[in-house]
Amino acid sequence: MNDADENPLLTRKGEIGLVRYQDFDYDDPFTFEDGQTIPGFRLRYETYGRLNKKRDNTVLICHALSGDHHCAGVYSIRDRKPGWWNNMIGPGKPIDTERFFVVCSNCLGGCQGSTGPASINRETGKPYNLDFPFVTIGDMVRAQKLLMDHLEIPELHAVVGGSMGGMQVLQWAIEYPSYVRRIIPLATTSRHGAQSIAFNEVGRQAIIQDPEWRGGNYDPEAGPKVGLAIARMMAHITYLSDKGMERKFGRRRRDGGDINFSFDVDFEVERYLRYQGQSFINRFDANTYLYFTRALDYFDLPATYGSLEAAFRDVSAIALVIGFTSDWLFPPEQNREIVHALLRQRKHATYAEVPMDFGHDSFLVDAPNLYRLIMAFLWEQ
Amino acid sequence: MSTDKTPDKRTVDMRIISEWIEPNSSVLDLGCGRGVFLEYLIKTKSVFGVGVDWDLDKVGSCIKRGVPAYQGDLAELMKAFPDKFFDRVVCSRTVQELINPSAVLLEALRLADAVTVGFLNYGHWRNRLHHLTTGNHILTEINPHEWYEARPTHPISIAEFESFCARHNITVTRRVYLGGDWETPSKRWHNLLCGYAIFEMKQ
Repeated sequence: MNDADENPLLTRKGEIGLVRYQDFDYDDPFTFEDGQTIPGFRLRYETYGRLNKKRDNTVLICHALSGDHHCAGVYSIRDRKPGWWNNMIGPGKPIDTERFFVVCSNCLGGCQGSTGPASINRETGKPYNLDFPFVTIGDMVRAQKLLMDHLEIPELHAVVGGSMGGMQVLQWAIEYPSYVRRIIPLATTSRHGAQSIAFNEVGRQAIIQDPEWRGGNYDPEAGPKVGLAIARMMAHITYLSDKGMERKFGRRRRDGGDINFSFDVDFEVERYLRYQGQSFINRFDANTYLYFTRALDYFDLPATYGSLEAAFRDVSAIALVIGFTSDWLFPPEQNREIVHALLRQRKHATYAEVPMDFGHDSFLVDAPNLYRLIMAFLWEQ
Repeated sequence: MSTDKTPDKRTVDMRIISEWIEPNSSVLDLGCGRGVFLEYLIKTKSVFGVGVDWDLDKVGSCIKRGVPAYQGDLAELMKAFPDKFFDRVVCSRTVQELINPSAVLLEALRLADAVTVGFLNYGHWRNRLHHLTTGNHILTEINPHEWYEARPTHPISIAEFESFCARHNITVTRRVYLGGDWETPSKRWHNLLCGYAIFEMKQ
């Protein structure tokens, strides 16, 4: 028996299996909303399935703050960790790769192969660090559009994404109304509120106050690891829910034993959060975390367009907005507001609220009722 | 009430209600269920229609039909619209289950020029007889379950609905009375002989 036989992510029915990423290099100047220009950029992306003859079956996936372009499949026969939305994307899955050509790109400003603060500034030969322009949700979407043009995709069947991805989804429908036919924003908001900004600020301060941050000019091998891990631990709590955490961890002890009268890890939930923090520092750049959280904070469709109705005035995509009952980061009300404004503009919009206990991250969880909604919406003619 | 369920019985009110709807108008359907009625209106009259229902599974069916639907509390959705945003609000087979019927109906009149309400007449003689002879809860096509499995229901009669309208200065501009079979018109003594009534209200 070889490794491939043993890996269900390769052999199980409905799995995409082996995937690889590609890079798109845009070699013309790109000007950000903040007015700064970079001479070009790279976006790392993945595609699954095949573009049909009419080139009208593309589904674009937009990832969340800590996500990336790797949303399905595995990289090698030994790889046991599939892409972040592997349960949703694949042959016969809700976002069916036998029917749709699925594209997911790492956001501009990111740290997973796309141009971001850690990339080398061609003009100085050094990393941009804090000289990198402030990136907005709008900038991310404009960069993705250049990738779509590069792939010669004339229209998008759908744009789908949760959280920060959901913001990009809305931005897509607003910015390129004739290009986008369907949108599914999940667990998102049209306006990053005070509570969300507050959480982001604590995360940023944890990074900035870490002496290893060095004004953003840290050695890529070192950096503010403590600060970034704390930022991630705290943010991760906001992605869960009281009920979900109680069920997953309760007061369970790390070793199943008694309390230790120490400040070391006593409880399972502590071990889990430390693990989340530690694994995050190995894959995420602290400056990108600062930039992306700022992109979230600056996202305010009502202010940018005068009102949410004005923002949606030219939208022609039909929308399925999905909120989750236990999401307290972008709670159902904020998702409903999006639908209210779309309907006030007499757009074709549907709202579904999925009862799940996993908090904000519910959209990433295995959930048949969520699958049914997404499948019905993508397949409906 | 008759307990035999024919497909006609489920669609006859839909036909009448749709006759009152102008092509290309805008319609809010309170308690849209699986979106069958709105799908019909969208296809035959090109309306801008949106439905609201609390049931996720039913909203899933609306998605399959291509009918825009809002899963949740209808009162909360209605608050999101300005005065006279819709040409018509339809409230078919829903009114008996509303928690606060007068608030919802008055809000519907704020949202639209015309409100169509289709409701079961619990004053129909068979309902009266059933209650008189057995003393039991009345089973209907709309609410066919025993009381312990049924949603809370207001058993309203035509006379009671009329008195509600009078009290709130609501003008009833159209009335259709169907007999116990919900098909043939009921000609007289409506509070006794009508099984299903459809009213158009304006204010």
